[in-house]
Amino acid sequence: MQSELSESKPAMTKFVWTFVYACLVVICVFFLLGQSTNVDGNQSIMKGDLDATMFFGITAAGLIFHYVFGASALGCLAVGSVGSFVLLTIGQEPLVRYLTLSALLFAIGMYGMVRSRNAVRVLMSIELMLNAVNLNLIAFARYIDPGAVKGQLFAIFILTVAAAEAAVGLAIVLSVYRTTQTVDMNKFNLLRW
Amino acid sequence: MNILNVQDLVTFQATETVAFYAVAIVAICLSLGVIADRNVIRAGFVLIGVFGGISLLFLMLQAQFLALAQIMIYAVGITLVVVIALMLTNPRLEKEAEAEELTGERAPLFAMVDAVKGAFPAVVGWFSFFTLYLAVRSEGWNVTDEAVSPDNLKVLGESLTTSYSLPFEFASVLLLAALIGAIMLAKAERKSTGSEIETVD
Repeated sequence: MQSELSESKPAMTKFVWTFVYACLVVICVFFLLGQSTNVDGNQSIMKGDLDATMFFGITAAGLIFHYVFGASALGCLAVGSVGSFVLLTIGQEPLVRYLTLSALLFAIGMYGMVRSRNAVRVLMSIELMLNAVNLNLIAFARYIDPGAVKGQLFAIFILTVAAAEAAVGLAIVLSVYRTTQTVDMNKFNLLRW
Repeated sequence: MNILNVQDLVTFQATETVAFYAVAIVAICLSLGVIADRNVIRAGFVLIGVFGGISLLFLMLQAQFLALAQIMIYAVGITLVVVIALMLTNPRLEKEAEAEELTGERAPLFAMVDAVKGAFPAVVGWFSFFTLYLAVRSEGWNVTDEAVSPDNLKVLGESLTTSYSLPFEFASVLLLAALIGAIMLAKAERKSTGSEIETVD
């Protein structure tokens, strides 16, 4: 009954509510942009935690738009994460921007790693997380330590480890698939006692 | 930088900001596509886009060597291996699993527990992002204004062969071990068919 109802809901409403949510987020971003161009605007924003409050607001609005009005989940997720990324970094210095982007990519990768049922997608999410760490290190090398680029050095080692991890992980997935005929994470219980 | 005057510097920074936001938004959307796309093969190809975007960010951070290494290793090597592994396994798994879940009826209490369990990864991801952001924002970074030296590849090579030569050797041993291990794991022992699964050596 529930699924029939949600299917009979026209796709137009879904799109319209996602669009309304996007407009709301854009208004929030422009409001904060206007605040940050004031004299000492950035300091006052950080002191009053205005950006954190608006991030909470965007999250809550996304949940409401998805669960109450039926906006599309992926649309809300994309608009919410892009919007809150821009909102949180708009007045910050470049290093904080890069670190925030890397934190966001890391969080997305972690969510995908825990959530997905296909073992190969789990490996893809882990690659995403390793890439976020690399971005972090290279941003540090650029802005903190541009003389002896130590961050890039460690990024090279992470690149190596990521390649090794991908090769071994995918070989394990193939081997398990040959044994159990599945790559479903919920059915990987060969080692359960 | 000495050739540029202040006005040029401001325009340069504005251009860099716009380019950063453009690439960052594309990368965020594509990485959401990687974890949310129903078709896993397509997700594997979208992953190339994410890696390409991040390598553009590396170029903006003046890490030219790492940008190209990123494209060579991630966007070509790892993605190729991932897509081949997907084609060798069952790429339609998640669609089938979803169809199974829709048909099964659960008691309301169990359904609620399932919903809470399903929301848990999202809560953890959201919370870790927010915590990281707060930690990053409130830290007083002493950022230097100087640019990365143009011969940073030389600096990298020198430190890899002098002060960091031991980790470098360990990395090569790790790669060798991973190579041998992957071959051993993925090698088909015999011509195994489905009926032979029950037999234990």
